[in-house]
Amino acid sequence: MNLSPAMIVFLAVIGLFGIGLYCLLITRNLIRVVIALQIMVKGAMLALIFTGQLNSQPSLGQSMALTVIVADTILAVIGLALAVQVKRHVGSLDLKDLSSLKR
Amino acid sequence: MGYVIVLIGILFCAFMAVREKRLIASAIWLAGTSAFVAIMMYLLGAYQIAVIELSVGAGLVTVLFVFAINIAGDEPIPNLSFIPKQLAIFFVLLALLIIGWQVIPLLNIPIQFHQDIGFQQMVWGNRKVDLYLQIAMIFTGVVSMLRLLTDEYQTRISQKEIHE
Amino acid sequence: MMQIEPLVLISLIIPWVGALAVWLIGDNYSKIQHLLAVIFSVIAAVASIMMLWVYKSGTILSFPVGNAFGDFTFTTDGLGIYLSIIATVIGALAIIFSVDYMRGSDQLGRYYSFVLLFIGAMEGLVLTSNLFLMFSFWEITALCSYALISFYNDDPKAVAGGMKALIMTQVGGVGLLLSAVLVYAFSGSFDINLFLSNSALFPKNVLIWMAYGMLIAAAAKSAQFPFQTWLPDAMEAPSPISALIHAATMVNGGVYLLARFYPAFKEIPGWTLSVMLVGMLSALMAAIMALVANDLKRVLAYSTVSQLGYMVYAVGAGGILASQFHLLSHSFFKALLFLAAGAIIHSVGTRDMREMGSLGKEMPFVRFIFLIGAFALAGVPIFNGFWSKELILEAGLSHGNPLWIYIIMLFVAGLTALYTTRCVWMVFYGDREKELHIHPVGKNMKFSLSFLGAGVATTWLLIAPFSEMMRKSLPIHAIETLSLQLMVREVVFAPATWIALAVIGLGIMTWFGRDSLDRIQKAYQPIAFVAEKSFGFERINKFIIETTNSAGESLRDLQTGKINWNVFYILIALIIVFALLGTGA
Repeated sequence: MNLSPAMIVFLAVIGLFGIGLYCLLITRNLIRVVIALQIMVKGAMLALIFTGQLNSQPSLGQSMALTVIVADTILAVIGLALAVQVKRHVGSLDLKDLSSLKR
Repeated sequence: MGYVIVLIGILFCAFMAVREKRLIASAIWLAGTSAFVAIMMYLLGAYQIAVIELSVGAGLVTVLFVFAINIAGDEPIPNLSFIPKQLAIFFVLLALLIIGWQVIPLLNIPIQFHQDIGFQQMVWGNRKVDLYLQIAMIFTGVVSMLRLLTDEYQTRISQKEIHE
Repeated sequence: MMQIEPLVLISLIIPWVGALAVWLIGDNYSKIQHLLAVIFSVIAAVASIMMLWVYKSGTILSFPVGNAFGDFTFTTDGLGIYLSIIATVIGALAIIFSVDYMRGSDQLGRYYSFVLLFIGAMEGLVLTSNLFLMFSFWEITALCSYALISFYNDDPKAVAGGMKALIMTQVGGVGLLLSAVLVYAFSGSFDINLFLSNSALFPKNVLIWMAYGMLIAAAAKSAQFPFQTWLPDAMEAPSPISALIHAATMVNGGVYLLARFYPAFKEIPGWTLSVMLVGMLSALMAAIMALVANDLKRVLAYSTVSQLGYMVYAVGAGGILASQFHLLSHSFFKALLFLAAGAIIHSVGTRDMREMGSLGKEMPFVRFIFLIGAFALAGVPIFNGFWSKELILEAGLSHGNPLWIYIIMLFVAGLTALYTTRCVWMVFYGDREKELHIHPVGKNMKFSLSFLGAGVATTWLLIAPFSEMMRKSLPIHAIETLSLQLMVREVVFAPATWIALAVIGLGIMTWFGRDSLDRIQKAYQPIAFVAEKSFGFERINKFIIETTNSAGESLRDLQTGKINWNVFYILIALIIVFALLGTGA
């Protein structure tokens, strides 16, 4: 396992992805869910640019990363607005109080 | 060498963002992660994207988080998660191992800085569908924010009328 | 001189802008919503009609969107222009009608924005020549149809009808998607005209898949056999919606699809015969079911299925001009009948025909208009239904088509006359048992109805420019021009016409002499019983819906409602997929 730059970037990608996924599985707070999603999306962006470089099509990877940035910003905006509304109407941000499916 | 420093920075900041108990501190660590990811993108040759990521990720999103956390309040929530922690760690590591085992043999190519069409020509020329998509997404976001805010506004007005 | 490009853009985008505007204004300003909806739809209608004068051949608009989906192209040719005129004009008239019909109902914003969205999507569907874009517009029309059928979403019957319509038309959409994907895979482009001119170069079995996929899509969309059960249940929608979507525009999408792709598929063995069989079976079964139905709108729904069967039969028999001409006439008179039925139901308050009767005395205008529509439906001379139906029957006799199908279609023409007369008699003449409170018919309703009535009486005069434009703009379809004198001479002097007229007259007489035909009536009873259960198709549908529901119930335990568990399941699926990929699947 040589530590070439490609290997390091790949480690960063899967590291971000793994940490974000772990946080998404563990957390109980709605805003922390948005934070976890942001971390995963940064991993995805890095992966897009990285593979663009590897396949000698850097501009394609970068333009896709641009779309992903827009998408994840909109996601953060709407997710946080919804979290604030949930706090106002339900009274708590805990996931346990939010699921109202009948079992 | 720079790559290793940035890698350690990314992983450390992301890890602290997850471990930190208070939400505002988490948001600040997220901003740090954005900054390090922007540096990594710069090292990979994506200059324009690095700038955009820096200003959006470490700027706009952090401000949004701070606003939302201030409005929603920062009450502590018990840490007992629904899925046992060991189970979660095990499955995440399993997924990462399987992905790594698939991809690592393909990584023997060194990172070179190719020159092809160029970022500007690609975004505005070949990938017009992406631009339309982004415009549609922004439009959707704005319209749904309007909906959310006017609902809020009207319930507040009706509550004020009930009080009077 | 006006260019055609801005006209196409106007007629496509204005309805969508109108949908957004009506929705954003909010339900507190309902008068402004009515006004805006009428204005936007009339602008689109005028732009559509003006396209007739500035017609230009070839691709009109082309939006390059990179090379993933080809270019988004729009062509205006004979098939497309007439359907777009029908969609916008009848859409405008239905919206004018809705101003009176939906007065005072809440959630008008949702109603008008979906209607305008639908009109824009229908325009896009018939004017585009990119198969992928056609599929997208197809799905948007299915969405709007579902949303409008279940508009009264407190009523469980309406919601069930909407779901059934959505599921059945989506099944059809799969057929269309399959064809689109096959075209792209074998030729690298989604362009329809390119496909039609080079269809002989495709491998044979690919063409067979595409042909039958399109037939399934068209049959599901136009409520043909075996998908015919969703249209009667869709009658829970408000009557202007039934007139617009389920009589004049969306259900014509299937016929349009078949007509457009006919030159590519006509050499496929068994395809034209299947098309003719589908049309014939739908026409026959729907006519029998219409004869025993007691709900006014159900009778009209079955009659729509039956007339669409005629059009599908005409396409299979090779008479593209006949089928499109009948489509034009049918849109006018069926929309007229539905709007008149809506006026009746709005005034009287009930949909059951057994409770109506001798309404002709209190509602003379509606009776006059309804009679015009009914004569056109039955195929009585002078009105446009007569000319187009005769052209279809003539096309059935030529081109070497099987004779037994022609005889059955002739019989169905007689059945059409029979059930139409029955319907008119039960509503406007005859005796009434219950006391009914009758509201007068509003001004806007009368305006729409008169406009459509005038259209029904005169659209057959347009045969010459109609066929001329279709011949010029569709070179691959090889359509001949038919001038007015030629058509009159052919139709009036052909012996087939006299036989058809005799059958129609027999149908009308059978209703009036029904008391003396006791024995035939008794023999008819078992058929009537089976027909009321719609030939067993309802039971199949109920079985499918029940199985789906019970499968859903048993899977419910997996849904805990907590995000963490959902993400966990996604993670497990990801691991499985990667493991499969890794072991060389």
